[in-house]
This record gives sequence, C-alpha cells and structure tokens, in this order.
Amino acid sequence: MAKQPTMSRALQRRENIAGYLFMLPCLLFFIGFVVIPMIICILTSLTDTNMHDPGLIGGGFIGLDNFVRLWGDKDFLAALKNTFVIVIVSVPTVCAFSLWVSSAIYRMKGPVLSAFRCIFYLPVVTGSVAVTVVWAWMYNNYYGIFNYILGSKGLGLIDGRINWLGDEKYALGCIILILFTTSVGQPIVLYVSALGNVDTTLIEAAQVDGATEMQVFWKVKWPQMMPTTLYILVITTINSFQCFALIQLLTKGGAGTDTVMYRIYWTAFKLTEQAGHFGYANAMGVVLAIFIGLLSAVQFKLAKEK
Amino acid sequence: MKIQSGSSRAYRIVSVIILVILAFLFTFPLYWIITGAFKSSAVNNSPDPAWWPPEWVTDNFKALFEKRTAPLWEIFMPFGSFTNPEKNRVVLSAGPDAPAAFRWLINAVFMAVAAMVITCVTAAMAGYALAKKRFNGRALLFSLIVCAMALPKQVILIPLLKEMSGLRLYGSLWAVIFPTVGWPFGVFLMKQFSEGIPGEILEAARIDGSSEWKTFSTVAVPMIKPGIGALAIFTFINCWNDYFMQLVMLDANNVYTISMGISTLQAETSTDIGLLMAGAAMAAVPIITIFLIFQKYFTQGIAMGAVKG
Amino acid sequence: MKKLVATVLAMAMALSLAACGGGQKPSESTPPAAGSNPPASQSTSSTPTDAATEITAWIYPVGGWGDEAKVKPLIDQFTADTGIKVNLEWLAYADGDDKVNTAITAKKAPDLIMEGPERLVANWGAKGYMVDLSDMLDDTDKSEINAAALAACTSTDGKVYQYPMFITAHCMGINLDAFKAAGADQYLNLDTHTWTTEGFIKAVEALYAKKNDTVAAIYCKGQGGDQGTRALINNMYGGTFTNAEHTQYTWDDPNNIKALEQLKSMPGIAFDASLEGGDELKLMYQEILDMAFCWNIAQQLDPASAHGDPGKTMNGQEIICMNFPSPDGTPVLQGGIWGLGIFDNGDQAKIDAAKEFVKYMCDSENAAEAAKISNFFSARSAAEGADLSNIFADNAIMTDYNKVILPNLGDYYQITTGWAGARTEWWNMLQKVGKGEDIAASVAEHVANANAAAAG
Repeated sequence: MAKQPTMSRALQRRENIAGYLFMLPCLLFFIGFVVIPMIICILTSLTDTNMHDPGLIGGGFIGLDNFVRLWGDKDFLAALKNTFVIVIVSVPTVCAFSLWVSSAIYRMKGPVLSAFRCIFYLPVVTGSVAVTVVWAWMYNNYYGIFNYILGSKGLGLIDGRINWLGDEKYALGCIILILFTTSVGQPIVLYVSALGNVDTTLIEAAQVDGATEMQVFWKVKWPQMMPTTLYILVITTINSFQCFALIQLLTKGGAGTDTVMYRIYWTAFKLTEQAGHFGYANAMGVVLAIFIGLLSAVQFKLAKEK
Repeated sequence: MKIQSGSSRAYRIVSVIILVILAFLFTFPLYWIITGAFKSSAVNNSPDPAWWPPEWVTDNFKALFEKRTAPLWEIFMPFGSFTNPEKNRVVLSAGPDAPAAFRWLINAVFMAVAAMVITCVTAAMAGYALAKKRFNGRALLFSLIVCAMALPKQVILIPLLKEMSGLRLYGSLWAVIFPTVGWPFGVFLMKQFSEGIPGEILEAARIDGSSEWKTFSTVAVPMIKPGIGALAIFTFINCWNDYFMQLVMLDANNVYTISMGISTLQAETSTDIGLLMAGAAMAAVPIITIFLIFQKYFTQGIAMGAVKG
Repeated sequence: MKKLVATVLAMAMALSLAACGGGQKPSESTPPAAGSNPPASQSTSSTPTDAATEITAWIYPVGGWGDEAKVKPLIDQFTADTGIKVNLEWLAYADGDDKVNTAITAKKAPDLIMEGPERLVANWGAKGYMVDLSDMLDDTDKSEINAAALAACTSTDGKVYQYPMFITAHCMGINLDAFKAAGADQYLNLDTHTWTTEGFIKAVEALYAKKNDTVAAIYCKGQGGDQGTRALINNMYGGTFTNAEHTQYTWDDPNNIKALEQLKSMPGIAFDASLEGGDELKLMYQEILDMAFCWNIAQQLDPASAHGDPGKTMNGQEIICMNFPSPDGTPVLQGGIWGLGIFDNGDQAKIDAAKEFVKYMCDSENAAEAAKISNFFSARSAAEGADLSNIFADNAIMTDYNKVILPNLGDYYQITTGWAGARTEWWNMLQKVGKGEDIAASVAEHVANANAAAAG
C-alpha cells in the first residue's frame, strides 16, 4: 500500500472518474441541449442576426445595442411587467390556497380525502391544451358560459357582457386563473402528506400547554413544513413561466397579456422583416434568463437559511 | 381530548361547503369538454348553453376521425437521414392509414414515456454522483444546475432549433424528448433524495468488493426508488403538457402529438366547438383514466418527493 | 410500486419498438425494382421511388383547399399520372407563418406552398427562399392569366415567385332577414349590392335600436381576416392603406382617422380583441352578429365552413354579400390572389417535381378542377385550350358575385415591404382604439412603426 497522501490522491482520482462517469449521460443532454444553446443565445444576443443569415450565429457583432434597444422598447417592458405580475400573483396564491385546502382536507376519511385530492389534480392531467381550449369557450364574449351565468339570463349580476379575453382589465386575470387551476394539484398533494407527517407528540405537548388550534398550526406544524413549502415555491415558480400555451391559444399576446416568453417567439418567427430580429429575440431571452437566475438564487438562499 | 368549540365547528362546516363548491368548479371544465364532445353542432352553436346534452351524438368524433388521416405508426431507421443525400428519413415499417387522432395519441404517449424513462435513468445516476461522489467541480456543476432549473425553453428557442436542424432531428419527436431530458430539475430532485442514503452502507458495499455500478444499482437505487417514482410522474406530465416545444419542433401531421393536433384544429376551425371538444376529450380521457387507476401511486410518489425535497 | 414500474417499463418497451420518430418526408425503404415499372404506373404505392419523386406541399386553407376530403382525389390523380408522391400538410392562418418560418430556420421548408403574394412574393420570395417561376410562363400563359394577378405575383425585379391559381374580391356579408326585421334594408341597394357610408351608419343604428346589442365587431385579436377591417375603414371615407407605389404605409390618412372615430362612436359596433376574422364570421352564422367584415365567395357558398346551406345562417336566415360602404357607393375591394410557390431547398430534382405539380394544377386541363375545389374564380381565362372563364356558370351565387362584387376589385397592396410587421401594428392599433386611447395618436404611432419596419 502506498503512503497516505498518494492514497488520497488515488482515491480522489477514483472519485473523479466514477463521479463523471455517473454524470456523463446526464451531462450529455444538459450540456448539449441547455448549456450550449444558452451560450449560443448569449453570443447571438450581441449580434444583428436575421433568419436568413446562414450558420449558427451569422450576423454582425453590434455589442450591447440590442439591450439598449430593449431598454427603450415599450412593448418589451410591458411584457416583462406582465411576466412578473403572473409570477408574483400566482406563486403566493397557489401556495396559500393549497395550504388552506390541505389543512381542511387532510384529516378527512381515506376515500373522501383521495376524492378531493383527485379533483384538484384533474386540471393537471387533463393536459394544458385541452384545458385551454375549453376555457376559451367558457370565457367567450358572446356564447361563453361565464357571461351567460352572470348576465341577464342567469344571475343578472352584469349588464350586457364582459369581454373576458378581449378587455385589458380582465384578460391577464383570466389567464392567471387558468394557470392557477392547473398549478394547485401538486402542492395540495404535497401539503396533505406533509401535514400528515407532522410529529404528533409536539402537537399534543402544545395542546397540553393550552395552545389554540391557530397557535398549534403556526408554531408547531408550519415550521416542520418549511422544506415542503420551499419545494412548492420552486415548482410553482417554474410552472408560472410555462404559460406559453395559454397566451398563444387565447390572446396572441393582445389585450395586455404579452409575456417575455411569448414575445421571444413572436419576434423570432412572426416579425421576420424586422432587421436583426434573431439577435433581438435572443437578447430578450438573456434578460429573462438573468431575472430568473436571480429569482432562483434568492429562493435557494432562503432555502439554505431555513 | 378537548371538546371542540362552537366557532371551530362552524369553521369546519363553512370550509366543507367552500370545498364542495371548489370541487365543482375544478371538475366543471372536464365535464364541459366531455358533454361538449357529444352535443350536436346546433346545440353547441346556440348562445344558450345546454347543461346536459339533449341527445348524445357521435358526429363530432366522426368528423374528427375523418378530418385527417395518418399511418397508425411508422418505424424509422435510426440516423436514416444521414444515409441519403436528400436527408430523408428511412421508413422501416408503416402502419395502415388510420384517423390521425389515434396517431397523435400514440406519438404523445411515446414522447412522454421516452422522456420519462431517459430522464429517470440519467437523473438518478447524476443525482447519486452529485450527492455521494466527492469529485472535483461538483459544487460548480450543482450551482449551474440550480440556475438552469427555472429557465423557460423560449430563452434558448433559436439556438435549439438550429441545433436540432443540424442533428436532423427537427420534425421528429426526439427534438422534444432530448431537451426535456436535458432540463436539470430531475437531477436536483434526485440529488436531494440521494443525500438520504447513509454513507456507511455504500462504504460497506465497497469493502465487500462491489463495483461502483453495482453499488449504485443494487444499493442506492432501491433506496431512492420513491424519488424516481415522483420524478417519473413529474416528467411525464411536464413533457405531455410542454406545448411550446411540440409547436416549434413538430412540423407534420404524422409527428404531431395530441396537444398539437387539437391546437391545429383550433387554429383551422375555431368555428367548430364540438370537434375541438372531441379532440380535447381524446387527449384528456386516456391520461385521466390512467391517473385514476394509479391514483394511489401518483399521490404517493409525489408526496414522497415532498418529504425529501 | 413494483407493478407500476414494471407496467411502465413494459409500455416503454412496446412503444420504443414503435419508434414514432416521424418526419414529413419519409421515403420508402424498399429499393426500386429497376426499370420494371413505367413512371406513369397507376399504382401509387409501388411507383419506382427515386427520392426526387416525392415532394412536400404545405397548403394554407384557401377556400375548399383546406378540406382534405375535397383535395385528396385530385392529388391522388396527380400521383397516378406522374408518379410523384405528394405529402400534404395543412397550415392555419393563425400560426402558419410562424410554422413556415420555423421550418425555414431549421432548413426543412416544404417544396411547395399555396398562399398569396404577400407571403410568397413580398416575404419569402424577396428574402431569396423561393424559386423563380418565370420560365414556366410563355406568352400564351401571360395572355390568359389575369394581368393584375400576375403583376402581384411578380417581384420588383421581375421574378415570378407565385404561379397564380385563383382570385376573389373580399367583401362583407350581412344577415338580410335581420336587416329587414329592423327596417334597415332600405339602406341597401340590392341590385348593385352597394351602400353608402351614411346608409351603413343608419343601418347599424336601426339594428342596434332593435336588438340593443352588438351589431358588428371590429375584430382585432390577431391578424386573421384583417383584410376586412382594413377594407371597411379605408372605404368609409375613401382612405388608403399604402401609397400607389407600395413603398410606404399611409393609413394615417385623415379619412381613415375619421372612419375610426365614426366607428368608435357607434354603440352597435364593438372593437373586440377576443375575436379574429374566423370567429367573427361564425358569430354571424350563429345569428349573434348581423354583419361580417371577413367574408368572400367561399364563405357565401359554405358559411363558416359548417357545411350548411349556401348563403344561410344556422337557422336558415338569408346572408347576402355586400360591397363595403363608401361615401358615394363606389367601393374599392381588397383582392385575394392565391397560387403555388416553390421553395428552393437546393435539390434540383425536387424543384423539377414541384414544377410538374404547378404545371398540373395551374396550366393544364386540371386547372378547372383545382379552381372548383377552392370555390374561388380561376386566375386565368383558359389553360392549354380548356376554357376556365365559365367554370361556375351553373352556380347562381357565383354568377351573381362575378357581376356585382368582382368588378370592384382594387389595388393589391399587400405586397408592400414589411407587410407582416404592418399587420401586427394594425391589429395592435385597433386594440388601442378600442380601449379608448387617442385615435389620431395611436394611428400615428403604429403607422410610424410599420414604416420603420418597412424601411429596415
């Protein structure tokens, strides 16, 4: 046997080889289909590449011009704002709602509990496009079911009609509502099981000390559910950025519902006559990636502190 | 045991009522899809909704099945497009012509299952390595993965499209599958799970002369199985619902998934609601049935994800 | 859990066997039996396949060409006659452009495409993606093809990127029974199918007074069917959309602003950002709206593509075609010119096969059938000796349309540069006007954007 330092170096090498061999299949996909495209995206964002330019990048280097242009692009800034409105509204409401539902159902009898869990999970498994298509019908200004129920033939709450998807006052809210129904399924399942796993001896101890139900919940159960909550925050945030199908199929980015994700697609493949549109679309992607990176960093910083 | 106070009981009753209303609202879209698919076009076109189909008709499904046709399956030679100068795929076997909706369903299931299986294998290996192997560059890799986790695919849309074109994968389901596999959320999840494997057990296996791979496959994998289950469900649903990648990468009737199929129908004939609902029902009912059958495993799998996550 | 995993794995195995890789240009793997089959073999499946005899055609739903059942027999016949296999894909107006652009980026553009000059000539042709078809046109062809249509299909440097097939004039449709019930039919000239702007305003007022609900919608969810809103606003007070040279957008014309202000002030007219053209005409079919601005002969023959009775709403009320209202009853209508273009994918064999397809559909005795499928008029009077000017002679609706609508066909300005960007500006502008923003300022802003894009 060799001496101690060489031994640990040999061990380190073994760990390196084994580690990278285990990582290899995953890295192939991750580097091939995420990292490399991201690098090309960053490089392209510094050019005025057009669709008809050959090659991976193609256009001429123009420095940060695209980003300067973005800074003054009213439509882009509106889209950026909408993107954050969607995240800021949907993430907390999804978390709060699923926490409330779970706390209300987790002590119910088996079949009732699973029935509720299933029902809230239904929109997730129905599939995003199928869900969107039926909501489009329900929201329809002229023959949708919402206007029928609220209108003079139903409850009579509104005069005339509400143009749900065509009116800036409502359209973004309508989209967030659909996103909401397709997002709460998983958090509810997670919270139900987390609540079921809370250490009962602590609860009993607290109850003996005369704690109210509210106190028991916030002082005993809530801290124990922190890891679950953080996990839910992460997946809900990811989910909120996946609202492309809703925008594409419902409003095409009109009526104040444009998001950065949709605008990238639109700039790349609709506005093909705009000079340097590929470079410009990639610059939007870079800005979005920076914001999302910051958001993830904050979330993980929080996770580490807890 | 304490006696329930009056206000607490009132709260219970109110919350049950609210829950029942919510349950109704959450099931309504599905109800509306299924009944809409069986209503006649006159009923669907009327501005006054019919809460229950006055008569159940199958015209919408007939129209859906007749609208487009495609071979029920096609098996292609791997890398066949590199074998001829026209870059054509080489068909090894093609099924009989059938309503395209069935092909779309088969495509969607194939896509989601393939993405699920490949992701589970690669992510389990990588997560294990990140948690248990002290290799150089581990921290850097992990932070890269965390940063990329929430990244929407729209960001890398253009480079990815050009890359797929170069690999001659554009227009095939693999162009949707591979980026889904590359998405690093699974690695993150599996790393969290693998942290829970006690180091002593791995050490013991090593001392017994077990190879690295054998240690992983016989000792580690059984311990992280619940996590793999959770990841499998998550990936399947995510890939199934990833309309964007399907929209960008799939270009023909015979590679469409059912989601793409319905959205094409919507773009072409937003006028025929019954047809759309028939398509939506085709997309939703099979996966909901699977979900209801395996409901217990679904919820268990997801819930186990939480404990560790 | 074990069972679940096992099931899933079994499913996966089964499916990977059926590896549905897919692709729009699958070529048969069976090697051609050398020389055993003549190219004109009637059998479609065992035709000798050297790869060039297989082409992909992407079809925008131009009238009846959107209907697979109607198109398929003609395509099958083509394959039988020539031995060239055609893979057909249908595009939708809602997302077809994005799809073609995506495919071009991925270097997998189709061989053939059916649409109009605004895409084939002004966009993809100008960018160098299309094949010049001028060698397919001899002097006889040029004399037979409608001159205006051919001009629109020719780029500024004289290249023909689209072989014109059919033409129409876009008009509007009205529910005549609803007009009669509201006493608004007095404003219509049913001989010439024209009306004045004043008559239009009074008719909307009368209809609104009767039903107290939206009479017609300025749809602006996207670009679908935007020719209707453009034609209405241009015609009301004689405004223009572009200059005569097709180099600049001029829709900030005071006459257009006046029209927008007028429309905005009418309670019977709704600016609706939840509708596209296709949704709007369906609403008229459902008798919810009394007018549709997105109308043409194909719609008149098959309202809302619902396969109901020609010229009737879903409950059998009568729809008639009308010219757009103008100050003195002399409308200028927007044309529709459709035809085939060939993408240059660098493979001469495929280009030749595609040209054969174009020749077959546009310049042979089959041109009559191709035009009949579309429900539009043929773009030429005759092809290879076959008379095409009267293919719809037995159809009263078509004959009528030919007489009262088609003569008002105006300038085909959609070939102005920057067209795709200009359309986006147009519907965004309509949304702003609908929201109540200052009309003149919104118009000015969006015209400026469109012109900037056209210049860049």
